[in-house]
Amino acid sequence: MLVLGPAVAAVALATILPVAHAQAAPPTTAEVTKTWLADCAVCHGRDGRGTFRAPSLEGRGAATVDYELTTGRMPLPATASSTAKVKRHKPAYDAATITALTDYVTTLTGGGPAIPSVDLTHADVAKGGEQFRLQCAACHAWAGDGGALLHREAPALHASTPVQVAEAVRVGPGVMPAFGQAALDDQQLADVVAYVRYLDKPKDRGGNSLWHLGPMPEGAVAWVLGIGFLLLVTAWIGEREPKA
Amino acid sequence: MTPQHDERRAERVIALSFLITAAAAVGLAVVYLSGGQPQLEGALLAVAFGGLAYGFVTWGQKLMPQGPVVEERHRLTSTEEESEELESDLERGGVISRRKLLVRSLAVAGGALGVAALFPIRSLGPKPGKALVSTPWRDGLRLITDDGKPVLAVDVPMDGLVTVFPEGFPGSADGQAVLVRVSPELLHPAPGREDWSPDGFIVYSKVCTHAGCPVGLYQADSHTLLCPCHQSAFDVLDRARPTFGPAAVALPQLPIRLDGDGYIRARGDFSDPVGPAFWSRS
Repeated sequence: MLVLGPAVAAVALATILPVAHAQAAPPTTAEVTKTWLADCAVCHGRDGRGTFRAPSLEGRGAATVDYELTTGRMPLPATASSTAKVKRHKPAYDAATITALTDYVTTLTGGGPAIPSVDLTHADVAKGGEQFRLQCAACHAWAGDGGALLHREAPALHASTPVQVAEAVRVGPGVMPAFGQAALDDQQLADVVAYVRYLDKPKDRGGNSLWHLGPMPEGAVAWVLGIGFLLLVTAWIGEREPKA
Repeated sequence: MTPQHDERRAERVIALSFLITAAAAVGLAVVYLSGGQPQLEGALLAVAFGGLAYGFVTWGQKLMPQGPVVEERHRLTSTEEESEELESDLERGGVISRRKLLVRSLAVAGGALGVAALFPIRSLGPKPGKALVSTPWRDGLRLITDDGKPVLAVDVPMDGLVTVFPEGFPGSADGQAVLVRVSPELLHPAPGREDWSPDGFIVYSKVCTHAGCPVGLYQADSHTLLCPCHQSAFDVLDRARPTFGPAAVALPQLPIRLDGDGYIRARGDFSDPVGPAFWSRS
């Protein structure tokens, strides 16, 4: 530990310092271009119109770019294979760099949905719940914990910010379909986002939530209580009156 | 307290249990007849069977002879007095008549339960007629969402998904459908369905052909509709042919057209009867 300690600290500092530095000053156009070429263009092409490694970003819009970068799904690690699952990570860039990169890609490829603004002050959580159960729960499960698809999975929603949820709904990242104004208008989208926030700390009206451990512990409790009760009844049926 | 007193008491308890069963069964029949309420019906059925069970168990415990029984060897023929005693017992009732109360209350309980069980037969009718092979979809009806808004084609993005209903029938169980938008060049329309999916807009029944669950999961990148119940998968690009899971029949397709105002309209009913197979399905 004595030998490793300083090394670990140095690595940690090296990871933190550039971010801290970049937050102070927004990146220059040259810096953004450099990041684009180094981290994104390798797969998406210099012009953002896609290569055999990754799809074109044309028409994907600021909402897609902001979603992928703020959830840390992009950029993929350099070692990722083409079939690797794209998972949520800590963002690779600070907020200013993400904004600049989003502007850069939007200018480069054009079109697509803008970053949705989400106003939760007038959101109706109950109506959001109805829409969530109709349109979201099939994949993300009724509690927003995510679920299995065919060879894929829908992620849990609890780590997402309201803007990220709204972006995902509008653009349909990865395997997810896109939900336009026909499926959810802006008010309904705000309602759904409010409901997703509510799901982080739901009021459990159905009794003890068992720490939201899921269906397995709930089933185990049902078995223990149910079988225990049946054992008591069986003992009562088989009871004999002590003969006086 | 004498043993006789105890037995009387037990008899009354048992008879009361059976009468509670009868009352609950009558209540069940009444609730069922007046429209039904699942939780109440369940509770009444539980009380009915619970009363029956409590009565039987108490009967077995308090009134039936308790072992262990050791029979000493004795003279095999009855004495004169014993025969006379039995005859007089039979004549004036005695042991046997005491059980009349129990048998009668048990008959009442069983009868009431039996009658309550008869009522659901009523629910087998009336015959469904054409209800299984047709839905509210008609030529010219617009596609609407669950809150009644007509769907504008421009409001459905590429790889978009919308749950739609026939205009005037929001929430329709057999009319519910999924509208999906894909790149038109990807579609392989079946012969005779070439103009059913204009501009890549394509509509299928949302009712799974396996067990009737809502086919609400859509994997946009592989154009696969999934059923959450048993993981049946349907290929949106190829007439919703089942590609995985227990469903054996393709999802029925709804022929649509785009009208001059940008709305999406049905051109008739689904291509096939919706939902799981039934006995007379062709």
